[in-house]
Order: sequence, then C-alpha cells, then structure tokens
Amino acid sequence: MFHIGLNHYLVVSTLLFVMGIFVMVTKRNAIGILIGVEMVLNGASLNLIAFNRYVAGGLPHMDGQVGSLFIIVLAAAEAALAVAICMNFYKNLNTVDVDRGDELAG
Amino acid sequence: MSTYEIALCCGVAVPLAMFCVLAFFGARIGKPASGWLAVGAVGICLALAAYVTFGWLGMSGPARAELAHNAYSFEWVTLTVHGINIPILFKVKLDSLTVMMYFMVTLVSTCIFVFSVGYMAGHSDEVGGQSKYHRFFAYLCLFEFSMLGLVISSSIFFLFVFWELVGLCSYLLIGFYFDKKFASNAAMKAFITNRVGDFGFLAGLMLVLFFLHTLDLDQAAAAFRDQYTHHSGLFGTTVSLFGWQISGITLATFMGVCLFCGAMGKSAQFPLHVWLPDAMAGPTPVSALIHAATMVAAGVYLVARIFRLLTPDAQMFIAVIGCITLTITAFIAIVQTDIKKVLAYSTLSQLGYMIFGMGVGAWIAALFHLITHAFFKAMLFLGSGQVIEGCHHEQDMRKMGGLRHKMPVTCWTFFIGVLAISGFGIPGAGIGIGGYFSKDEILAVAYERAYNWTERFSGQAEHASAGGDELPVRLASDVPDSRTPEENPIDHEVHRDKEEVREEIVESAGHHSPEKDRLAAHVPPIKKWLFWLPIIIAYVTPFYMMRAWWLTFMGKPRDEHVHHHAHESALMYIPLVVLAIGTIVFSYAMFRPNIAEAGVQATDAALVVAVDGVEHTPEMLSITHEPVERSPHHALFWIVGFAWVLGMGFAVLIYRNGFALAERLRRIWPLSWIYVALEQKLFFDHIYDTVLVGGTKWVLAQISRIFDTYIIDGIPKLRGRITVELANFSGRIVDAGGVDGLIDGFADTTQAAGAIMRQPQTGRIRNYILFGTAGAGLVLIGIIIVAYASMK
Repeated sequence: MFHIGLNHYLVVSTLLFVMGIFVMVTKRNAIGILIGVEMVLNGASLNLIAFNRYVAGGLPHMDGQVGSLFIIVLAAAEAALAVAICMNFYKNLNTVDVDRGDELAG
Repeated sequence: MSTYEIALCCGVAVPLAMFCVLAFFGARIGKPASGWLAVGAVGICLALAAYVTFGWLGMSGPARAELAHNAYSFEWVTLTVHGINIPILFKVKLDSLTVMMYFMVTLVSTCIFVFSVGYMAGHSDEVGGQSKYHRFFAYLCLFEFSMLGLVISSSIFFLFVFWELVGLCSYLLIGFYFDKKFASNAAMKAFITNRVGDFGFLAGLMLVLFFLHTLDLDQAAAAFRDQYTHHSGLFGTTVSLFGWQISGITLATFMGVCLFCGAMGKSAQFPLHVWLPDAMAGPTPVSALIHAATMVAAGVYLVARIFRLLTPDAQMFIAVIGCITLTITAFIAIVQTDIKKVLAYSTLSQLGYMIFGMGVGAWIAALFHLITHAFFKAMLFLGSGQVIEGCHHEQDMRKMGGLRHKMPVTCWTFFIGVLAISGFGIPGAGIGIGGYFSKDEILAVAYERAYNWTERFSGQAEHASAGGDELPVRLASDVPDSRTPEENPIDHEVHRDKEEVREEIVESAGHHSPEKDRLAAHVPPIKKWLFWLPIIIAYVTPFYMMRAWWLTFMGKPRDEHVHHHAHESALMYIPLVVLAIGTIVFSYAMFRPNIAEAGVQATDAALVVAVDGVEHTPEMLSITHEPVERSPHHALFWIVGFAWVLGMGFAVLIYRNGFALAERLRRIWPLSWIYVALEQKLFFDHIYDTVLVGGTKWVLAQISRIFDTYIIDGIPKLRGRITVELANFSGRIVDAGGVDGLIDGFADTTQAAGAIMRQPQTGRIRNYILFGTAGAGLVLIGIIIVAYASMK
C-alpha cells in the first residue's frame, strides 16, 4: 500500500514554499505578493506539523501544532497589516503595482 | 644735644605728627575740629620757636658759637666718592639765621592757620561728596614740617630733601581745588617749572659732592676756601668739553649758578617766574603762607646758605637775574586787575629785590627784607583773602571799591602793608616801616657797589697786589676770612697760612679789617644800570600797591551787589592785626640798632657774610665804621627817600575816580602798546607755550610718531605678516592638503563605495525577495555541501 510518510509532506510544503516565493518574485500586484506570503507561511506551518508527527513522535507532543497555530494567527495579523499597507500604497501612488513604489531606491 | 636743638627738632616733628593724624583720621575728626588741631600743632611750634629765639637773643656770641660747635650730629648714611667716605650727617643748623627764620615761619604760619580756619569755613570743600577740609590742614601741617626742616638742615642734602617736600606741598595746595581745571593746571605748571630749577640744584649738589667731598654747609664752605687757597680740587681741575677748556674757576662759577638754579625755581626768578602768578589758583591762605611769606623765600634762604660757595661771577649772575625779575614783574603788576595777581607780581618783584640784594652782597639787608616782606606780604595776602571771602569770591578789583566802610580793619591793616612795601618813612627822622629799612638797605649796598666801590678799596687792592699776595681770581667766598680766628674756631686751621699776609696788611690798613677790605677789592663794582633799575622800581612799587589799595577800599563802590554783601569776620582779621604789629615790630625793634650804620654794615655784609655760629655783633660789624653820611637814607636821600610819596601820590591822582582816567590814558599811542604787552605778561606765557611747550610737544610728537609707526605699529604688522604666512602654510598645505585631504579621501571612498553598493538597491520589492531567496538558497546549498563533506 502507498504509505504516506514524512517525505510527502515535505515535498508538498516545499512546493507551497517555492510557489509562494515564485509568486512573490513575479507578481507586481501587492495583493498577489500578499498571497505569495501566505503560501510561504502555509508551507512552513505544514512542515512544523509534519515534523511534529513523524520526528517528535506525534501525540501527546503538540509543539508543532502550537507553532503552526501561532503562524496562522500571525498570518492573519500580518494579512490585516499588509492590506492596510496596500491601502496606503494605493492612496499614495494610485496603484498597487509594487514596482512603482521605488522611492527608497538608493 | 642742647635743649635748643631738641626744641627745634620737636618743632619739626609736631606738624609731621599732626599731618599723620589729620591724614588718617581727619575725616572722622570733622570740619572745624581738624582745623583747630592744626592750629594747636603750629601753636606748639611757635611756643618752641619763641623759647629758642628769646634764649638765643639772650646769649653772647661765643656762647652761641660754642653751642653750634657742639651740636649733636647723627650719621645717616655714608657715601663713597673717589674712594673717600662722605658721611651725610643730620645735624641741627644752629645759628642766628636759622633761629630768625624759624621764628618768622612759625609766627607767620600760626597767624595764617588761624585765618585758614575762618577762611575755609566759608568755602565749599567737597569733591564728589567727600570733604577735603581736613586734607587742607593736613597739607598745611606737612608744609610746616617741610619748611621748618628746611630751615634747620645743616646739610645741603637734607636741605634738598625738604626743598622737594615744600615743592610737593606747594603742588598739593595750589591744586587743592583740583576739580577745577585751572587749579590743577597751575599746580602742574608750578611743579614742572620748579623741576627745571631743581634739576640745576641737583646738578650743583653733585658738583659739591664730587669736588668738595662733603655735603655739610660749613664743611663745604671750608673745603671750597681751602681748595681755592691751595689751587687744588675744584680749582685745580680743568675740564675739557667739546674742545672747550673749562678752568676750575669757571667750574666753580658753574657750580654756584647750578645751586642758584634751585633758588631761581623756588623763588620764581626770571626766567622761571611764570608759575607764581598762576599759583594764586590755590586757596588764599596758601598764597599767603607758601607763595608769599615762606616757601618762595626759601630760594633767598638757599642763596644765603650757599653764599660762601659763590664766586664773584656767580654773584653777578644772581644780581642780574634778580634785577631783571624785579623790574619786569613790577611793571606787569601795574596793569593787573585781579587783586591776588597784583600781590603775586609784587611778591615776585620783592623776591627779585632779595635775590638782587644777595647778588650785590647785601647779605644782611636781603635777609632783613625777607623777614619784613614775609610779614607784610602775608598780611596783604590775608587781607586780600578777607576781601575775596567778604565779596563772595570776587577777585576783580573793577567790581570792588569803597570797601573801607564794610571792612575797616582789613582796610587799614592792608594800608599798613602798602606803606611797608612802599618803603614809607621820613628820611632823617628814623621813622619808617618795612621796606624803608630793608629795601633801601639793599639799594644802599647797590649804590656802594656801583659808585663808591673802586675808590673805597683802591688802596687795599694796590696794596694787595704790591704785597705779592697771589689772588689769580676774585673770590667772594673768602669773605668769612674777615672774621678773626677767635671768632671762627672751625675755620681757624685752614687760614693759618694766610696769617703772614694778613699781618702785613694790618700794619698799613689802620682800623679797617684789612683782609676783608683786600678781598672786597677783588669783588668788582656793579654796572650802573644794576643800581638804577631797582631805584626806578622803588617808585613803581608804591604806585601799583597804592593803586590796588585805592581801587579796593577807596572811592565809590563800582558793583552794588558785591559791595552790599561785603563783610569781615573776627577770626580772619585778628591774624591781620597780629601780622601788622609784627611788621612794625620786626622792621623796628629787632633791627633798629643796626639801622644807623646800615649802609656800611650792609655793604660789609658781603664780607662779614657768614653768620654760621657767630652773631654779627654791632661792634664786630662796625669795624669799618664809616661816617654816618653813608647810611642808606643819607646816601640815597634824594634818590629814593621820597619814592613812596611820589608813587602813592601818582596812583591816587590817576585812580581817585576809579578806572576812568586810566582807561583814557591807556588809549594814548605808546602807552596802548605798552599796556597790551604788560597785560599779556610780556608774552612770557605765550613764548613758553609756543617755544617750550609747543617745541617739546612737536619733538615728542615726532618721536612718538616714529615710535608709533615703526615700533608700535611695526610689531603688530610684523606679527601679522608672520601670522599670514603661518596661516598660508597651515591652511594651504597642512589643512587643505593634509587634514582636508584625509577627510575628503574618506568621504570620496565612502561615496565611491556607496555608488557601488547602491546598485542592487533598486527599490523594487520583488528584486529584494529574489535576492533574499537566492541568498537563502545559496546558504542552504552551502550547508548541504558542508554536511556532505563532513559526513565523508
């Protein structure tokens, strides 16, 4: 039988992570980048849970789950913050194209 | 130390102590009290002086000589000149001259101190809210100390010290109202003019020290005579100066003239007379005490003291200077309208008479005139002070007149002063006061010197030359030889070698003191004009004095306002009365016995001259007793006997109705020019201002300009140049090249680095993410490689 082990999880989480990075690098829309960030975070929290299950030995250990819960909470907070930044970005530049926000360029 | 010496020293010390008290505590002692304390101090001096004077008068000649010879001396310091030790001794000079001067100074100053209390009561004496009242009396006490010290000094050195001290007091008191510009200027003028004279005095003092090796008056005179006799020392010296050979006798004359320069400054003789009229800027009691009675007479006193160091040429110089002074100042006095200025110029004129008297050898007469003049001139000045005070500081005679009703005592004491200075007297009757005896005595001596001298001593002179006595130069300093050795124990030894000559002459010279006459023959007669100028001034003196008196007290009041407020106060006129009595008593009682043979005595005074220790007894003085026709008022009966009548009469004639007639007279052609010249004081002030002050200023200006331009300015300029160069070096090279280069280098490097570093900083967030991820990936790959490598 096809047994699902740690490596599968790791592959999925890696895919998520890499896709998130890819989205962040390629997308010019600020919201898109936010979505990419969410994907990276999800990839990371999937990793935590997988390691908790297969490496730490599962229940009663719940460190990984707690960590991923924190990430979710943080991601929610971060999303709120990021949307607010997007709003201000838009307010200032009349667009959400991040390439236009290059005022900090040296 | 005899009681007399102690008394004289105490008399000097008391005013000094009072000066210290007033100087330190005067402000606390308060206004009238400090004045009365000063009066008390000078009263003590007067008491001591009276004790000494009356004791001295009661002593016999030898007793006095004995006392003077045994005087205590204190060695103050020892100088070494040419390897010879010269002690400077402090010793009380105890002789008739000192006692007389001491008594005169204390008596006059007591009167003036009392007067001052009254005078200062009505004067503002505050500067910046601080009272100067006590300071005035402190200065007066300091002056009293200095003047008495001067009188008792037996050493020329201490004479000089006190001489400078009285000069200082004069300066302080002329400039008493120093908040007024003219007063402080007058004080400076007096002080600086006196410095000119004192420089000469100091030079003379050096010459005395250098050649005579002593500073004691008696020893110096003895050494002078000794060197003359042996043709050594001063007289054996020949000085070469810029190719000129100066002989010893010229040097001796020069020394005498130098010493006289001091007297010229202090007694305000031509050409240094300019300070005295300006000195009237001081309070009137000061004018009376210092600038009329005592300090200015110190010059005459000095000449009397150094008389034995004077060669005939030096004496002639003194006579000429005195004659010029008495003439020009008397004429200037005629046109003065300020009452104090008239008195100032008359003081100058009378001082001229004294100096002239000294110069022609009227030694006793000049000192006699000094004493009488001190009294009547102090009285005249105090009278003018009373007038000025009574008229509320009005000094202009044009605003006075008719004051006799308002201030009768002042009026009549002033009149006594006018009579005294005019030489009032009735020839033949022996009645007269002041100048009648003293001034006419000087004139009588001048007459003798001008007309009777040659034939009087021709016999002796021939005899002297025939007798083989070598007198290469004429020298009056030999005069004290006239005294017999018994009379002069100190000088006895020195002159033993002349004994033979003397004896030889005695045989042929009868009752005359032979050596005296022989020496007199070597004193030349004076020029005729030296006799006639003082005679003319004897007519001018009563004129200007009567003019002053008449304009002040007689006639109608010319200014109602001034006249209305005029008053006199007892504190101020009592001293006037005392001085008036003093004038009469001193011109009579004290010298009356000598008057009969005055002409002869005074003539011989040049020869009998030194009173050191030995009193002139009438017997001694009448050695060369001449017929009574030679007495001044016989010899000069028609020449000067009635000068006072003419002078005073003429003054009344012109000024009986105030200035009206005088105004008209001065418009007449030659008089108008003379008037302008006299009113401008013969342009002395202008000449001095332009030539001396202006010249000095010009020279100083040039020197300062050069100094300023090249040294004062040069130093900063040089420093500036150095600084600029240094700045250039440090700025251009060190700062710009080194310091700035370093900093700039850093900055440039940083900038260049920044330019490189900022290239990746695109501002594009996607780039950043790419770089971050790529970096992380690279790190991961690195870790994996390392992990694999370590596993192997």
